[in-house]
Amino acid sequence: MSTTKGSQVHAHKADIFCKDETKVDWHSKALWFVREKRDRAAGSIPEWEEIRELGSQVKTHALSHLGHYLEEFEKNCLANGIQVHWARDGEEHNQIAHSILAKHKVKKLVKSKSMLTEECHMNPYLEKRGIEVIDTDLGERIIQLAEQPPSHIVLPAIHMKKEEVGELFAEKIGSEKGASDPTYLTRAARAHLREHFLTADAAMTGVNMAVASTGSIVVCTNEGNADMGVNLPKLQLHSMGIDKIVPNMDGASVLLRMLARNATGQPITTYSSFYRGPQHDGEMHVIIVDRGRTDMLKDKIIGESLKCIRCGGCLNTCPVYRRSGGHSYNYTIPGPIGIAVGAQDDDTNSIPWACTLCGSCTSVCPTKVPLDQIIFRHRRLKAESGQLPYGKSSYMPLVGKFMASETMLNCSMGVARTALRILPGSLMKPFSGAWGKYRELPAGASSSFEAWYKKNRSN
Amino acid sequence: MSSKQHILNSLKKVAVEPVPMPEINIVPRTEDLVGQFETNLKACAGILRREGGLEALQSFVDDLMKEGKQIISFIDGIESNREIPATPHELRDIDFAIIPGDWGVAENGAIWVCCDKLGHRITPFICENLILTIEESKIVPNMHEVSDKVSLESGNLGVYIAGPSKTADIEQALVVGAHGACSLNVYLL
Ligand code: SF4
Repeated sequence: MSTTKGSQVHAHKADIFCKDETKVDWHSKALWFVREKRDRAAGSIPEWEEIRELGSQVKTHALSHLGHYLEEFEKNCLANGIQVHWARDGEEHNQIAHSILAKHKVKKLVKSKSMLTEECHMNPYLEKRGIEVIDTDLGERIIQLAEQPPSHIVLPAIHMKKEEVGELFAEKIGSEKGASDPTYLTRAARAHLREHFLTADAAMTGVNMAVASTGSIVVCTNEGNADMGVNLPKLQLHSMGIDKIVPNMDGASVLLRMLARNATGQPITTYSSFYRGPQHDGEMHVIIVDRGRTDMLKDKIIGESLKCIRCGGCLNTCPVYRRSGGHSYNYTIPGPIGIAVGAQDDDTNSIPWACTLCGSCTSVCPTKVPLDQIIFRHRRLKAESGQLPYGKSSYMPLVGKFMASETMLNCSMGVARTALRILPGSLMKPFSGAWGKYRELPAGASSSFEAWYKKNRSN
Repeated sequence: MSSKQHILNSLKKVAVEPVPMPEINIVPRTEDLVGQFETNLKACAGILRREGGLEALQSFVDDLMKEGKQIISFIDGIESNREIPATPHELRDIDFAIIPGDWGVAENGAIWVCCDKLGHRITPFICENLILTIEESKIVPNMHEVSDKVSLESGNLGVYIAGPSKTADIEQALVVGAHGACSLNVYLL
């Protein structure tokens, strides 16, 4: 089903991703491997559950006192020589960023990973105004050259195979044709991006945490691209959602202990940089962005999605995400957290159903974001506002009535069991709908569970 | 109304249940801190040099200089062949930077480095290889123990560095040496 924005329902987009079965298998296994590394890292810290609880409380505390901490953060930033800007939406954010860059006549901006600037569609905005934007995280650079959106919040190019990257690099950055060795390709990107770092006029990064008590921002990377970017030119910009606030260094430490462990299974990211002011002779700007977050905070359940520290753990564990890919969610952020923060903007009204409600995401989340509850809440809100996806609004009321009637249910189950036993599978398959597409039908049991229970267990 | 005022006003209606800021009382694991540090540093692809201290470091540097490597040192007593240049960009050909680490964290192998005493903040990131030093007595068990110790003066940049730069963005294959240093050696003092 297409809509005006050109977005399509999740199942349809997942279908496209599932066409290449080997690739889907690889995708699912690669992410599960990351999930296993995460389990080992979490398991190596005896107090893991204790710090999860602390992390949840630190974030909940900050969110429930956000106005206070944002003002404290701003005051301390100013004392540190950091300029602070406030933006209500993506448009205002982009305008602010552009006006700072334009004032300094910036022609080339190097950028490190920021989901927020993706949300705001900042790159095209700046490019239209004559500023070259270079994404410098390797995964982000790959998808920028391939002109695709990210498919994962921590591993943006996880949907691409090394041969595809090799082909892309040969065409765009002049690496050897046919090369697909990850080390070779990474070195080629290092050389290519180093030139950009050395010739950039300004740098921009996202923000992992904003420490209110010190007026500093924390940026975490493994590649070192944020720090390589920020510390060569004289102008640095950082975009942050209002939800990035932590009260103090103690709070930041709790979250830092979990971020990398939960993301990739590393003890900590290679670089966790605390910027508490611009370099000598430099200028540092922080743009604080709302973009729908204050609205989310007005709902008790959905508001909790702002506890997220963007580790990506919930994506790696999600059985739906692993098999449908990050481009099937109609939103920059895919997976469980993408549903939680993006469902209200989903014009296909299908994204909240890209979930089995298994709850695996909730149990791996380092800050205890109740993802399954939030997703369920989105379903309810869609239903209440009359926005159920077509199939669900037409047949679900009937299914409800049917399931509620014992006679009808028992009688039809009997028919189904007999049919499954005696009719050939090919005749029965169409009745299973989309469910049967990738599955074999079960063998029909000879009696119902109720009858079996009465006979064997009831006395 | 300014956007700031608008955002602050909207935040008066937050529905998330308020909770107090929690007390953080995690019992630290204090046994064999150097051993813990070494194991975790290794997991981050860094190497701990336990023996020989500054003397071993100087003789390593001497060998490198004989090979013509470009070395900048910020450690008293370690001789090198490069000075702090006028612009950060001139550090692009530095082969080794030698920088003192302030604190080490046993649970994850990270070392706290203050960048503002280095002339240019870019130094630990732009060098081809990084060498840090750490005093044994400055290794603490975990991040909670270090958070009130690290000094971050107003206007400064401080960074936890754990290993050389790395990436796994191509098919999840780990490659050491992304944009920052390609190796990290830590000398224990
Ligand atoms: S919701 Fe939790 S698990 Fe998912 S990305 Fe955010 S912090 Fe990580």
